[in-house]
Amino acid sequence: MTYSSFEDLLVERHGPVGWLVNNRPERLNAMSARMRDEFALAWEELDRDPKVRVIVHTGEGRAFQTGVDVTEIATDGVGMERYRRSLEDFDLHFTSWHQKVWKPVITAVNGVCAGGGFHWVADADIVIAASDAQFFDPHVSIGQVVAIEAIGLIRKMPVEAVMRMAFVGRHERVSAERAYELGMISQIVDPPERLREAAQELAEKIARNSPAAMAATKRALWGALELGLTDACRAGAKELVSMWGHPDQEEGPTAFAEKREPQWQELAPAPPDQPR
Amino acid sequence: MAYDTLVVERDGPAGWLVFDRPEAANAMDATMLAELERAWQELDHDPDVHVIVNTGTGRAFQTGLDVVQLSRDRDALREQSRRTRDAQLRLTAWHNGVAKPVIAAVNGVCAGGGLHFVADADIVMAASDATFLDPHVSVGQVSAYESIGLARKAPMEAVLRMALVGSHERVDASRAYQLGLVGQVVDPPERLRPEAQALAERIAATPPQVLRAVKHALWAALESTPREEITP
Repeated sequence: MTYSSFEDLLVERHGPVGWLVNNRPERLNAMSARMRDEFALAWEELDRDPKVRVIVHTGEGRAFQTGVDVTEIATDGVGMERYRRSLEDFDLHFTSWHQKVWKPVITAVNGVCAGGGFHWVADADIVIAASDAQFFDPHVSIGQVVAIEAIGLIRKMPVEAVMRMAFVGRHERVSAERAYELGMISQIVDPPERLREAAQELAEKIARNSPAAMAATKRALWGALELGLTDACRAGAKELVSMWGHPDQEEGPTAFAEKREPQWQELAPAPPDQPR
Repeated sequence: MAYDTLVVERDGPAGWLVFDRPEAANAMDATMLAELERAWQELDHDPDVHVIVNTGTGRAFQTGLDVVQLSRDRDALREQSRRTRDAQLRLTAWHNGVAKPVIAAVNGVCAGGGLHFVADADIVMAASDATFLDPHVSVGQVSAYESIGLARKAPMEAVLRMALVGSHERVDASRAYQLGLVGQVVDPPERLRPEAQALAERIAATPPQVLRAVKHALWAALESTPREEITP
C-alpha cells in the first residue's frame, strides 16, 4: 500500500518491517503540532498495511525525540493551550499504545531521548538503543509537569530511576548502559551506526512469529498493566482461548515437526471498538 | 505417596519438588499435571517442611505442556483446556494456594509454560548455564499467564521482548540476574542443589507463621486494591 506523504515523519516498509522515523533533525526531532497529527495517521497506516508485521520507530539525526517543540510553544501565540483539551480528556493519538496498534513495536533510540520522547519508550513493546543514546527528562527544569510518560515508565521498570529522572530534570543524563541495567532497554547497539541494521534484524526475527498470536499476547500483557494479578490472568485467559481453533495453532506445530518456516495467516484488521 | 513424574522428598526443613521426566525435557504430561497438584498439597500440609524447593532432573528445568502426549489423552487435554479457559490452573504453588516459601532452582532450559514456575515462585535461583525463552508465538500460541506474572516482578520490556521474539532468542542466567528475574546465579551449575538447600535452611530459621504472613502480604500487594479502600 502507499502511505500518505508526511512532512515531519518518514514512513516506509522494508520487507515485513514498517519504519516510522522522526524527521525534524534540525529541531532534534521535537514534536511540532504537525508532527503530532502526522503520528496519528502514520500509526494507523502502518497498522493497516497487511505487509507490515513489525514496526520500528526511530529518529533522524543525533536525537531520537525531544518532546513538544518548546520554541513553537513559546512563539506561536497559542502555546500549550493548544493541547489542553486532549490532555484533560486523555485523548492522545501520537504513540502506538494511544492508537491501539497490536503489531509488535520496537523503539530504536538513536541519540538523545528527552522529556516527551519518553512517550515512545514507555509505549513501545521493545526498546533498543545506540551505545551513545542518552535519556533525561527536563520537564521540571522548564517549569513543566511530567506525568503521562513517567507513569507509563514506572509500570514497566524500577520506580526509583524514573522518579530520579523526573525530579533531577535536565541536570543529569542516563546512559544507554544504565538504561540496559535497569531493564528500560534490552539491547545496546555498538557502534551506534549499526542501530537501524540491528533493529531490522530483530524485527525480522519477530516477523517470523504468528501475527495473530502476537497480537493476543500483546493485548494480554498491556491489559495486565490495568489490573491486579488475578484479574489480569483471568483477562489473559480470554486472549489465550481466542487463538484456539485459529489456523496458526495447527500450522505452528506442523511446521516445527516438518522443520520449515510456518505459513501464518495475515492479521485480521482489529474491530474499531476494541478496548485498549 | 508415590509419584511417576515427580520426585518429592524431604531434606531437613526443605521439601523438594523435582520435575522428573528428563527424557521429555520435564514437559508436563497428563500424569504430571495431576501429580503437581497432589505434591504441592502434600508439601504444604507437612508440618516438617518449612520451605519448598522446586527444580528439575536432567538438562531442562521445565518446558511447559507436553502437547504430543496431551493430544493422545483427550480427557486430560479437555480438562486442561477447561482450566486454562476458566483461569483455574493447578500447576504452580501460587495456583495451588501454597502458603510456604517456594524457591525455584532453575537447573537448565526454562521454556514457555516452564516460566509459570519462575513467575509464581517467591525466590528464583539459576544454574549459570540456565536459559529462559518463551516460544509460544513461534508455534501459533498466545503467551499470557506466565508473562503477566513475570511482568509484575521484573522490568516489563524484557518480558515483552521474550514473549514477542519467541523461539528466536534466549535470555541467559546472567541477564536474568541483572533484570532481577533471578536472585542468585550458581556456578558451577552442579552446585545448584546444595546452594538451594542452604538457602532453604537459612529461610527455615524464621518461624513458619512469620514466613506465611510475609508471603501473604506481598502476593496480595500484586492484586489491585481500590484506592478508596485504603485512604481515608
